[in-house]
Amino acid sequence: MAGQTEGAGVDRRQFLKVLGTAGAGAAVLGGCSTEQVQKLVPYMVQSEDQVPGIPTWYASTCAECSSGCGVYVKTREGRPIKLEGNPDHPVNAGTLCSRGQAGLQGLYNPDRLTGPMAKNAAGTWDAIKWDDAIARFAAKVAAAQGEFAVINGYGPSTFSSLLTAWTSAVGGFITNYQTFSREPERLANQKTWGRTDLPLYDFAAAKHIVSFGADYLETWGSPVEQQRGFAASHGFHDGTMARAVFVGPRMSLTAANSDEWVSVPAGTEALVALAMAQVIASSKGNSAAASLADYAPDKVASQTGLSAQKITALAQAFAAASPSLAVAGGVGAQHRGAIELCEAVNLLNDVAGNIGQTVKFGAALAESEGYGSVEALFGRMGKGEFQVVLVHDSNPLYTLPRGGNFGASFAKVPFKVSTAAILDETAAACDLILPSLHGYERWDDLMPRAGVRGLMQPVVEPVRNGMHIGDVVLKASKTIGGAAAAFNAPTFEAYLKGEWQKTLGANGFDDSWRETLGKGGVFAPSAPVETPKATGAAVSYTKPAFDGMGDYILMPYPSMQYHDGRGANKPWLLENPDPITKITWQSWVEMHPDTAAKIDVREGEIVELSSPHGKLRAQVYIYPGVRPDTLAMPLGLGHTEYGRYAKGRGVTPLALLGGGDGNGFLPYLSTKVSVALTGDYHKVARVDGMPRQLGRGIIQTMPLAYAAKGMTPEESYKAAGRNFAEENPELEQKALEGWRERQIEQTQVGDYEPTDMPQWGMAVDLSRCTGCSACVTACYAENNIPTVGEEQVFRRREMSWMRIERYWEGGTDGEQIQARFSPVMCQHCGAAPCEPVCPVYASYHTPDGLNGQVYNRCVGTRYCSNNCPFKVRYFNWLKFTDVAWPEPLNLQLNPEVVTRVRGVMEKCTFCIQRIRGAQHTAILENRSVRAGEIVTACAQACPSGAIKFGNVKDPADEVVKWKGDRRGYTMLEATNVRPSVTYLAKVLHVEPADFHGAEER
Amino acid sequence: MRKRLFLGLGVLAIAAVATLTLFRRGSAQQTTAGKPVVAAVDPASLKGPRQPIFFRHDIHVGRNQMQCQYCHYTVGVSNEPGIPSMQTCMGCHFLYVTGSTPQNKAEIAKLNVAWQSKTPVQWVRVHTLARHVHFPHSLHIKALGPQACATCHGNVARMAQVFKVNNVNNMGFCINCHIERKVSRDCSQCHF
Repeated sequence: MAGQTEGAGVDRRQFLKVLGTAGAGAAVLGGCSTEQVQKLVPYMVQSEDQVPGIPTWYASTCAECSSGCGVYVKTREGRPIKLEGNPDHPVNAGTLCSRGQAGLQGLYNPDRLTGPMAKNAAGTWDAIKWDDAIARFAAKVAAAQGEFAVINGYGPSTFSSLLTAWTSAVGGFITNYQTFSREPERLANQKTWGRTDLPLYDFAAAKHIVSFGADYLETWGSPVEQQRGFAASHGFHDGTMARAVFVGPRMSLTAANSDEWVSVPAGTEALVALAMAQVIASSKGNSAAASLADYAPDKVASQTGLSAQKITALAQAFAAASPSLAVAGGVGAQHRGAIELCEAVNLLNDVAGNIGQTVKFGAALAESEGYGSVEALFGRMGKGEFQVVLVHDSNPLYTLPRGGNFGASFAKVPFKVSTAAILDETAAACDLILPSLHGYERWDDLMPRAGVRGLMQPVVEPVRNGMHIGDVVLKASKTIGGAAAAFNAPTFEAYLKGEWQKTLGANGFDDSWRETLGKGGVFAPSAPVETPKATGAAVSYTKPAFDGMGDYILMPYPSMQYHDGRGANKPWLLENPDPITKITWQSWVEMHPDTAAKIDVREGEIVELSSPHGKLRAQVYIYPGVRPDTLAMPLGLGHTEYGRYAKGRGVTPLALLGGGDGNGFLPYLSTKVSVALTGDYHKVARVDGMPRQLGRGIIQTMPLAYAAKGMTPEESYKAAGRNFAEENPELEQKALEGWRERQIEQTQVGDYEPTDMPQWGMAVDLSRCTGCSACVTACYAENNIPTVGEEQVFRRREMSWMRIERYWEGGTDGEQIQARFSPVMCQHCGAAPCEPVCPVYASYHTPDGLNGQVYNRCVGTRYCSNNCPFKVRYFNWLKFTDVAWPEPLNLQLNPEVVTRVRGVMEKCTFCIQRIRGAQHTAILENRSVRAGEIVTACAQACPSGAIKFGNVKDPADEVVKWKGDRRGYTMLEATNVRPSVTYLAKVLHVEPADFHGAEER
Repeated sequence: MRKRLFLGLGVLAIAAVATLTLFRRGSAQQTTAGKPVVAAVDPASLKGPRQPIFFRHDIHVGRNQMQCQYCHYTVGVSNEPGIPSMQTCMGCHFLYVTGSTPQNKAEIAKLNVAWQSKTPVQWVRVHTLARHVHFPHSLHIKALGPQACATCHGNVARMAQVFKVNNVNNMGFCINCHIERKVSRDCSQCHF
């Protein structure tokens, strides 16, 4: 049933015109939208699993990266409207990251191609029919006589196996290429253990985690699973918590969440790892000690800039905790010595006895040939060895460095085919586009590791006229004939079922298939753990070389939101600020304050970076978390195609990089750049305000020793010898006597009798929160929050009902800089300052303890926002609803939440639609709402499990336990607004005597 | 397969309704209150918006005594009452019920054309709630009983063409009832 509006609304000019001609009295215009003629369109045949007004959930698998998280797709009337994690899935256990949730904006992306296209002689595109497209493809493949290459970016799956088998049947060559495929680790494992597979790292079991450049909370590995593990071990629990250390040239989000960021020059991480291994090996009498003698701490100290004592202390702390875990890799450590670094870390894990404990082989993680193979393939293309190339689920002309001349090699292939659903850089260079179906429109599966086989099913009619490439291949086989004729399944769905039948068994397959679909796949409880024997190969260190003569090392790092660039066409990801810099919709170059002072630039000034491979102009962001000798730039923007949101937005550091050295991986961190001033300026679209807490106690911390003793934050501050709050002079104290009590008494007055109404409340554990911002994306998705774009962010008109506050601590006087993160949403104050100032009672207190906001009553005075100490009320300045969701993005909107119009104040409602929904269901089922039944969108999404929501009057509710935690405090307590959100103080690995440094109080 | 099942169910339902109708007819002659309405009516002379097909609630609900939930079947379980699918209409009108008067026959023929050409009938909406109001039908049916539809929608059993009896968009209309029945008047019950 669809409500369709006939005749658009009357705009102001038209209204005045009517008034002018007909006279004021005669103007019979419906002021209210409900007066317009609307149509009710029934189904022809009612689908049996859709009930109008009630969501239907389907299990599927996220294909945004190769981690293969399980998802539940919430659909209403046949439209997916929200993605949530599958709680039974071993990888993500019910949670989902921002990128995964934004998969919906890939499905409904307004720039999706409407059907297959062929490039004509003039170089423009002709829309063609699918039969024609497949016939052209098949003819070219058949004519290529085996001079046919395939680049497949999709992960291990039935489809990838089919494509591999099919390609070899037609005599072609296939390579599996994923942009961040951890090649140095595989190559290092080959040397250390004689096997190229990757282990699973058990972050949850580790008591001490040291990362050498691996951004395990962002893009490296399987970020959601790692974040869950990190929160489990590093979150304060049972009086203890793990310790985390990050070694590298830039403070990434992972480093900011570690207890210590050890800043070393790019390329010397391996020395630290080897020195640590040397200390541990010699203290344990391990035979490896002898070969490591050259890397004793005092010998590497000068190169790393660390003192020998520091390295020894790092090693001792690592060895003292058992099990511990060291990880290395990722783009941020992919310099020319990346293999040696990973080898060194393998050795470190080995001497510390972590193999089999926290480093678990046997999971057979997703295999991918990676960069080396694709580099070789492009080399062959350049030599004219291929007639036809097919690129699937990959955008190599964007993700490969510009200095490698990959575009020129690609152009030498006479006929190029892409399956991109959105015209990306590679597709634009192709001759034929066979737009693929989105993951939620097709039958497919994904096997991220042994024992985990996630299924995907079509949960929506294709939004665009796409076709799964599996079907294309099967259809083309009929034409090509020969060995390809063996692929005779009528559809890919049939082929997939046939393959699954081998696992599930032919007996009662229909039932087991339905059951598996309902679960989302087959998940073995845990993978077998193997403990490989080290080959004993010696590890040597050579200082990695850098291209160019510039003064600064260029450090490209993968963006949390955009991954390798695939996220750049999704407005949620563009508007959701980078957790560290808080910049939206832009790319930037990070510069240390000292560097900026030296070359005299300020934030937003545009500098020109040049390397031997290219030049680019980027705006400066001054960041104390990057070494003075390094400039860091996020990957992911700087697209020349890829739809209206991505095209022409920002720059990519890939423009400054050269190709690889034939070592099997792309050395991202291998270029030195020089900086030139341009005199231009572009404002940085930052959403953060004051970067320091200035003693306001917004995000409070306490030393582990005090937290373990069960102190409150106040007691902890006092025990550390610091005032908790400024003392008022005697006169003021006299004036304030009894004021607080009177205020509280005042708030009890009202026409709400004591009732059995629930009181909703929330608790946020800051020792678990990593600032990843998955909750923010969930809030956008659930509550129809419009994205406003760069221009409006400049004017501070972003609408994020929920935001992550990031504050810096330290960083001055030689102290280490640290970050504090906290989600801030409406605090639903018991004595809310926004309520009494509203002249129209749009802001009011509900009997169940919410701070209600009645949009249809709001007249937009903005008094409430002015009076809100937390700045969590967002004013809708423009008709964002008209611009934020171009068709078909609007299909994602949640029908349970109204879209707000211009001129009203909006804010977090504690997902009131979910509260009311659960209450209504309970009434229909003649029961009361169960404890823990209502989960807000933010709490649901959080991979760390840092948010708990519930009824504070129900003792069975988990939130009561959280709120009773000794670490609990409320933000800006001095304002006496009595928030419903309790924050549990972040716990630091800091000696109580050193706790003075923190400046939050 | 499923289509056939639905059609089969439809046929059974018709049989039941037909028997009921015959029985009712017998008794209807004796009473004047529930006077059967089958006479031809000019929809243009009636209140309410004209519909693409002159669907007569008075015949279906009044004369044939069909329950509201037979067609608006999700009203008791969902916020949305549900508009019957075309298949629900065809369950009865496919073969057996073709109309008793020329006018009815013509209207049912329109339905058949729509079904054959697979184009759903676009009904004109009579009751529209503003988007900022959430009205859970199921809770009201649960609280007031399955016959309570008339409280807001009027007695459609007597309407040849449905028209608005109450302005459901007038908040006073909602609130009066909530006051009378002493149920919540909290804004956030309906506005979010």
